[in-house]
Amino acid sequence: MPEEKKALSMKDLKSSDPRWCTGCGDYTILVGLRKFMVNNQLERENTVNVSGIGCSGRIPHYMNTYGIHSLHGRSVPVALGIVLARPDLNVFVHSGDGDSLSIGGNHLMHGIKKNFNCVYLLFDNQIYGLTKNQTSPTTRKGLPTQSQPSGSMLEPINPIHFALGLGASFIASTADWLGTHFVDTLDKAFKHNGFSFVHVAQRCPKFNPAAWDFQESSWITFLTDETHGVANDAKGAPDAKVLAHNPLDFDEAMKKANGVPDIFGVFYKEDKAVYNDLLIQQNDSVEQKSRDSLLDSFII
Amino acid sequence: MAEIKDFRFELLMDAGNGAQKAGDILVKTFAKAGVYVFIEPIIPAEISPPKRTPHSLSGAVIRVSSDEISNIGSYSQFVLVEHEILLDRRCDDLEFDKDAVILMDFGNERRAKEAYENVSKRVLDAGLNLVPFSINDDSEAIIKELNGNGKNMYYLGLLSYFFTVDTSIVEIIIRETFKKLPAEKLEKNINLFHNGYSYASSLKQDRYEFPSLIDESEKVLLDGNTAMSLGIIDSGFKLFAGYPITPASTIMHNLARLLPAYGGTLHQAEDEISAIGTVIGSYFSGVPAITATSGPGLSLKQEFIGLSVSAEIPCVVINVQRGGPSTGLPTRTEQTDLFSAAFGSHGDSPKVVISVANVEDCFYVPHVARYIAEKCRLPVIILSDYMTSSSYRVLDKLTLNKMDDIETIQDFVLDRFFMKRLPDTIEMVKGNQDTPGQTGGMRRVTGLNTNEDGFVEYSSVSNQRSHEIRNQKVHHVKDALLEPESFGSQDGDILIVGWGSTRSVIEESVQKLSEKGLSVGGCHLKIVYPLAPMLKEVFSRYKFVVSIEVAYGDSMKYTPFATLLRSETLVDVRGLIAQATGRPLKPVQVVEKVESFLKENVNA
Repeated sequence: MPEEKKALSMKDLKSSDPRWCTGCGDYTILVGLRKFMVNNQLERENTVNVSGIGCSGRIPHYMNTYGIHSLHGRSVPVALGIVLARPDLNVFVHSGDGDSLSIGGNHLMHGIKKNFNCVYLLFDNQIYGLTKNQTSPTTRKGLPTQSQPSGSMLEPINPIHFALGLGASFIASTADWLGTHFVDTLDKAFKHNGFSFVHVAQRCPKFNPAAWDFQESSWITFLTDETHGVANDAKGAPDAKVLAHNPLDFDEAMKKANGVPDIFGVFYKEDKAVYNDLLIQQNDSVEQKSRDSLLDSFII
Repeated sequence: MAEIKDFRFELLMDAGNGAQKAGDILVKTFAKAGVYVFIEPIIPAEISPPKRTPHSLSGAVIRVSSDEISNIGSYSQFVLVEHEILLDRRCDDLEFDKDAVILMDFGNERRAKEAYENVSKRVLDAGLNLVPFSINDDSEAIIKELNGNGKNMYYLGLLSYFFTVDTSIVEIIIRETFKKLPAEKLEKNINLFHNGYSYASSLKQDRYEFPSLIDESEKVLLDGNTAMSLGIIDSGFKLFAGYPITPASTIMHNLARLLPAYGGTLHQAEDEISAIGTVIGSYFSGVPAITATSGPGLSLKQEFIGLSVSAEIPCVVINVQRGGPSTGLPTRTEQTDLFSAAFGSHGDSPKVVISVANVEDCFYVPHVARYIAEKCRLPVIILSDYMTSSSYRVLDKLTLNKMDDIETIQDFVLDRFFMKRLPDTIEMVKGNQDTPGQTGGMRRVTGLNTNEDGFVEYSSVSNQRSHEIRNQKVHHVKDALLEPESFGSQDGDILIVGWGSTRSVIEESVQKLSEKGLSVGGCHLKIVYPLAPMLKEVFSRYKFVVSIEVAYGDSMKYTPFATLLRSETLVDVRGLIAQATGRPLKPVQVVEKVESFLKENVNA
């Protein structure tokens, strides 16, 4: 009889000890990620966490799975390499607001366009944390930082509009401190075939404590939908508003995204061609040859 | 009729008028007739510059020989040119033989009389033999019907007459080349070819005949980038990720058609950085992957090359060198990226750099690169160049290796690159090198320093250890290097040392200098980083050592290769033969320079 496989537990997913600041939202994201893996009993050896550089980039080190902590802004191409090589693996990409929308903007744009199969988490603390408090692409206008001490000069990028505009096939937003909402969102994202874009409001008590008021919830609106959405988190955000939203409606998603960053839930979902599937189909349609004939057409 | 053993000629036309196509057909004809050929296209960096301007110069330089050749030679003895502006432009390159015959289409004389006369005077003053010709009226009419196309076929007819080739073979190849054309158009092209052929006899010029000496064994006709593409398949790479860049793009084009049939995948990335990132992601997951680029792309890839070093993920980058710096000369040749390849990426990032001498090397170099990259888990950079990538030639049918895992690399491939097998086990910074999917092997890789267990560690002891192990990998490669290829005298007055595509120029010039009774040796390196350990000893056998490079150097700045050799051997290697004109070095230039150097420095 084959040996019965031991069920995956939270403890099995621990690796080295995290080195984030006290109160950092990355801790709860890490716990949420482990909880999601345990809920789905994902195999550690078939899971790869990929990251860029920044506080978010450290996630792979703390997950006892396979992982690559790659370069600043470059997690998407590395993740794509893994997916092309081994489409059977579970691939999670962890990236920050600077990593995603500044130095890595081009890769994220094309990751979304290619719609290759992975879950992409954008940890948005609206600041550069690891380099100590500079204005990021999502920093709210007026916030003084080390690089723009008189107040950040420009309007922030709206990451949901960015993803919608590029035609992402799955777009959701959640928050690190909303435990059940975070895990449920991850679950929906994982089960979607394609590039699942998940925006995560992430606390940075050290450099940008005012970005997200996690003790108060009246500013939050949850988008809900029984079939395609995620339930509101009544326990984590008791005073939040709840708004019904059909994630299959693109125009409505664009409108709702005007409320970002105060709005959480699944904005959009669409079944779309997946790049890695297309490549496999294309390659499968080609008649296979033996290397013995490699030079034949070049003989004179 | 003059029987010729070694001959160089060129066909020059406005870009877009099909000079390369006509050149290709002629080369295939020669090849079928049993003559060795080497062809170098002249291509503008733009697609279709305005016609009848100097920028529009396009064409094919072809060297034909009864002996095997692997360089384009020195001067053209015969030129067929579409109009005076191109001829004027090409005169600037100083590549015409002093007795060259120049056939110029004077069809445009009426339109540009003054320019025509000026150029004719320039050519005649240089002592060249200018033969004006025209396209006959019948043919003009056909060209008109073809919307201005087909002139190249008329010229092909002329060339076929002068080089005494079998018109029936040419016709077969024309039909094969244009098989997608509607029948009516194809016949018109054939007619133009025959018209050119019959017209040529009226010019009353000497014809040339090449003896066919090639043996009966199977031969292939390949350019460097095609050979490289086929080598990528033969060496078992399963993913190619690339971004378009001249002159590397044709590798991607070839593989887009070929790779899927051999179980691989072609991925076009959004930029150069992404292409290498995907290669690294694939290799981390156990699937051999490769990318190809040229100078600017190599600059962009440097940060990922450093990650490959630190994270110990193999990766192979082909760099088809073009003229630099910056955008430089996209369609000209230079050996200019030696330092970027060997010392690129910040910090101490040890890697291996392998160059190619010729088209055959392009086929076998992916095997060696993969072998070293996977064995040592580090980046390997392949240095080709524009000249090697785009020139093609007839060669003996290559021997397939059909590599699966790296231990199936055959000895003859390693021999070709003058190296032995590497030790069975090579120490890694991280003890665990498992691949996703392997149970129990879960591990994280990073650009940060890690200890033996793969965990991030900033201690001084650990960081020093990582440096040592990474460098040790390259030292293993150095230990495996054999004495590089040599030519001519094994000791004596002067040694000419070079790398990459200068091999045949070294060989040919050493032979010519030796025939003049001079005491000259040649030395050629393929693996240029690390350097073979016995170079100092080799150099010590000669009074002088000079380097040969298609790169810039002057009296106050050593060329890159000379600098590298000097720092390695402490021998006074002089950057005597250095040129960064965008054109390949000519054997005669080397002969002249070495002769005058010896006159000045060695007592007769």
